[in-house]
Amino acid sequence: MEGGQPLVYFDNAATTQKPKQVIEAMNSYYENTNSNVHRAVHTLAGEATEGYEMARTEVAAYFGAPRDHLIFTSGTTEAINLVAYGWARANLSKGDVILTTEMEHHADIVPWQILSKERGIEIRYIPLERDTLTLDMEAFEIGVQEASLVCVVHTSNVLGVRNDVERIIELSKTTGKKGSGAFVMIDAAQAAPHERINFVELGCDFMALSSHKMGGPTGIGGLFVKPEIMETMIPFISGGDMIETVTLEGSTFQKGPQKFEAGTPRIAEAFGWHASVKWLSKFDMKMVHEHVSNLAKMTAKKMSSIPGIRIYGRHDLNTCSGVVSFLHDSIHAEDLAHLLDSGGFAVRTGHHCAQPLMEALGVSSTARVSFWIYNTVEESDAFIDYLTSIVEKFG
Amino acid sequence: MNEWPPPLQEIINEFKDCFDRMERYELLFEYATKLPHELQAKDWTEENRVKGCQSEAHVECTLDENGGFQLHGAADANLVQGLIAILAIGVNGLPPSEVALINPEFVDEMDVKASLTPSRANGFMNMFEMIRQTAKIMSKEV
Repeated sequence: MEGGQPLVYFDNAATTQKPKQVIEAMNSYYENTNSNVHRAVHTLAGEATEGYEMARTEVAAYFGAPRDHLIFTSGTTEAINLVAYGWARANLSKGDVILTTEMEHHADIVPWQILSKERGIEIRYIPLERDTLTLDMEAFEIGVQEASLVCVVHTSNVLGVRNDVERIIELSKTTGKKGSGAFVMIDAAQAAPHERINFVELGCDFMALSSHKMGGPTGIGGLFVKPEIMETMIPFISGGDMIETVTLEGSTFQKGPQKFEAGTPRIAEAFGWHASVKWLSKFDMKMVHEHVSNLAKMTAKKMSSIPGIRIYGRHDLNTCSGVVSFLHDSIHAEDLAHLLDSGGFAVRTGHHCAQPLMEALGVSSTARVSFWIYNTVEESDAFIDYLTSIVEKFG
Repeated sequence: MNEWPPPLQEIINEFKDCFDRMERYELLFEYATKLPHELQAKDWTEENRVKGCQSEAHVECTLDENGGFQLHGAADANLVQGLIAILAIGVNGLPPSEVALINPEFVDEMDVKASLTPSRANGFMNMFEMIRQTAKIMSKEV
């Protein structure tokens, strides 16, 4: 930073910093193993393929699933689009209802809107209870009865609120689609960094997440899918690597995840993601959650005593994640972020790709601090001091 | 070496004297309060909105009785409003033909552009282009 000022990174909900194990794994791949996968017979290609597929095994295992449940994607957004284009297009039609919420990231709204326009599928939104900033579960209980597909964010990137996904899945399976059960897609991008999720035990049909929010590299993420459902999906992107045979008359496709991984995949990124889950496995994730949640609670509490600061979230709940969204009555969120940056504090500002949620909150943007494993109480204290001085000077 | 209208040069010098980024921000906040012609929120329209800005920013250009260029504007973020004010103070009263030729590099000389996020820098360039294009049209009409 300017003048050798130390940097305090509080933008972890956007992306986390990378542990050296991840950087070393990717460097090592490029220095020692770089080769394309699933193709050539030479030794290097074999090593690259083995490493890539080992990454699938280990990442899937970290989320409590066998390797054939995990399709590598570019991240959460592509994973949700894969559900929309690969599954919903083949399995839903006019008359079906997709139930989602006001709390979603744009990645879990826009693909459904496009599909809705194309196929006449209806989208319904569960509202946010304005006073509790949680989902209106009474509305959900009614809405789910008509739904064929339920798409819900596990943990909000704006409010840090953790939805009761277990109940949402149970209700969807028992009462969805007039009692025959609805399919469920969970956006776990913000939950995976501080909660150990077991995909099989959770019981949803699809789960989307990104590597870069949990210490891994950008450019890779995954869609967890139950294999019997994967069989009913059509390829979203086609070309090399996903085919079995191609003739001029037609093509046949690979089985399992590879059917959805067309072209040269993200090989170095898979090595990196593998390294990040290996690194995260050393931590007790309950303690990680407690750490980030306590930092958020403590910071939110101190911030709320700064004149003019308004906090958006439920930091009174133990389930809250490491996110604190806030505004000041007279300093614009973007000005705040610039001023904080000049003090070395990296915070996010904007609508956080959740404009419907912003509308529900009655604002157009917020500033947001978000914590992770490496953030400290001292950093939070320094942030509070600096924010206080900014408010005194500019507020 | 660019030559700037004297009022703009004066502001550039003021920014050059700033010790650090925080001081430059303080100065921008100060300029935000010195808008010569504030465009009231009720007059903010889609037509005068600066596109590409994360915050809301609106500008309009008129000619005074002497044919001099006048910039009206406002933004909901002070740092953006400060930039509008600086531009307005720098160019108001000039013939539109001169405004049409102004180079946006003055923000580099003020050492302010480096302090802007890419989206804000992009928004500033969009605003600058809107003003320059309007000045160009006005200079043909005068």
